[in-house]
Amino acid sequence: MAESGNVLLEAREVTVRFGGLVAVDAVSASFRAGELVGIIGPNGAGKTTFFNALTGVQRPTSGRLVADGRDLTGAGPHRFAARGLARTFQTPRVFGDLSVAANIGFGLKFAGRRRRRWWLWGDEVGVPWALRDVAGILSLIGLSEQAALPAGALTPSQQRLLEIGMALSTRPRLLLLDEVAAGLTETELVDMARLIRRLRDELDLTVVWIEHAVTTLLRHVERVIVLHQGRKIADATPVEVVNDPEVIEAYLGDEMVDEALSRPSAETVAGAPERATRGGPP
Amino acid sequence: MNDRQVLMRDLLVWFALTGWALALPAFGSDFVVSMALTCLMYVALSSSWGLFCGSTRYLSLATSAFFGIGAYTSALMLERTGWFEAIALGALVATAVAVVMGAAVLHLRGTYFAVLTFGMTELIRHAITYFEKSVTGTVGRVLTVVPERDTVYLTVLGLASATVALSIGVRRTRLGLALLGIGADEQRAQTLGVNTRWVKIVGFAMTAAVAGAVGAAMSVRWTYIDPHTVFNPFIGFQTVLIALIGGAVTLWGPLIAAVVFSLLAETLRLAAPQVYMMTLGLLLILSVLYLPGGLASLRWDTWKVWRDDMRAWWRTRRYEWNGDKARDKRLARERRLG
Repeated sequence: MAESGNVLLEAREVTVRFGGLVAVDAVSASFRAGELVGIIGPNGAGKTTFFNALTGVQRPTSGRLVADGRDLTGAGPHRFAARGLARTFQTPRVFGDLSVAANIGFGLKFAGRRRRRWWLWGDEVGVPWALRDVAGILSLIGLSEQAALPAGALTPSQQRLLEIGMALSTRPRLLLLDEVAAGLTETELVDMARLIRRLRDELDLTVVWIEHAVTTLLRHVERVIVLHQGRKIADATPVEVVNDPEVIEAYLGDEMVDEALSRPSAETVAGAPERATRGGPP
Repeated sequence: MNDRQVLMRDLLVWFALTGWALALPAFGSDFVVSMALTCLMYVALSSSWGLFCGSTRYLSLATSAFFGIGAYTSALMLERTGWFEAIALGALVATAVAVVMGAAVLHLRGTYFAVLTFGMTELIRHAITYFEKSVTGTVGRVLTVVPERDTVYLTVLGLASATVALSIGVRRTRLGLALLGIGADEQRAQTLGVNTRWVKIVGFAMTAAVAGAVGAAMSVRWTYIDPHTVFNPFIGFQTVLIALIGGAVTLWGPLIAAVVFSLLAETLRLAAPQVYMMTLGLLLILSVLYLPGGLASLRWDTWKVWRDDMRAWWRTRRYEWNGDKARDKRLARERRLG
């Protein structure tokens, strides 16, 4: 299934340089329709910078970005949004003065408009029923009761849900989530993971998910890209990745992965064989 | 109030104000009409300023540049064309300059944007002075064709009225929403699909068009214009101050403040010119400190909060000085019982 879909977004040798610092070093990756991909890496590995490059927020120093067969290198973020690429930000960036419903309505009025067909009397083609309007998106992310509240009055975890809702309001085909699970409680984490699975399974979205908390991520994704010091050091299934000596080397001493790898395999990696965790760090 | 009711209220207020101002030349004296003219000029300037700069929080100091460009254009054209053509041309030239200027500086934010717009205003002013001195050999020009008092008044009234109507309208369109989104979080608005570059240029050009048209209409007020009169930075500053004190994001704030200030200016300027400027500065400081939303955000509750704050403050001072007998008694009783 993962290999069957067409490529929605492709990064070719993307490099981002800040002065002398190479934040992202010639990373290539492609994301196919219907995939649930994770991107992990230690602190400062260039995850967020790579994300920024993928969504046009950060212009890559070199390399190319092809979205849906069209070269968008150097284009502004609104062009990426118009091609069906939506993202969330690591710290929620909601419009605090506007109501929750208006926050969702914003995206619907801009990038979300693109699939409206005038010859169908404003009916929308190819938009999942759950994303049809503000109410639909709000019930999907579970903020229907807070619709009239100003977004600034929400709790941080609710703001994070709203952040996802705002990304969904652009009616994306590819959703890029930047550390949406950071700082959530155990139950919130389970709900968040369930929501992300739903987005992929029911709405047929492609999801790319960055997380520093590797444990949760590895349990749900089908493919993991590992970044380390700006370079891509692995791109494989979770089971293969946790056994990759280079990945283990990169993550050595990182308590998150220590935790992930020291757990029994069935819990860490869904359906992983017993030997999967044998190669954990000393 | 829902959205529709707000729209109806705004339109009614707009209609009533326009009608009232329309009747003014019939019964007002020359002095009153001249005062109302200044008032309408600042209503148009600061409403249009608030439309772009208020919602996007891009602080532009280029109003006097567009005003001056409009004034010069109409001064040049009035001898050859009609009154309305001259005004339309003034607006057009100002818009063209704003598009070029906007494309050059609208990627900057905050102080840099403010300073650069101010710098460009000075650049245009000095360029015209230089051009006049070295090419035409004269400084300034005398306006020979001057329309009737009422024509000027009604034109500026039409411009002010149109600006407020534009402001009411734009707030309800995607453009207004995009401007608001840029003010709140520009990058977020971009990732939600707003072409911020275009939106900013269009918004800036709208402000400039109004300022240019107002400048073109007001140029006939002076029979002689030179760069120092019409590119006077004071026009730009006062527009910004009025909009900020009134509440730049709001619809009616700039209008209220413009009326207040024109009245204040006319009454104080003759008696004590320095007092007027001092009042302006003081009001700006007070409004930034205590009323960040501007005059338009004043509500009955605001007064109540201030009154209660004052009372609480005064009570603590009194207790500090005299002691609080009632509180001491209550505490003593509680101690006895507890």
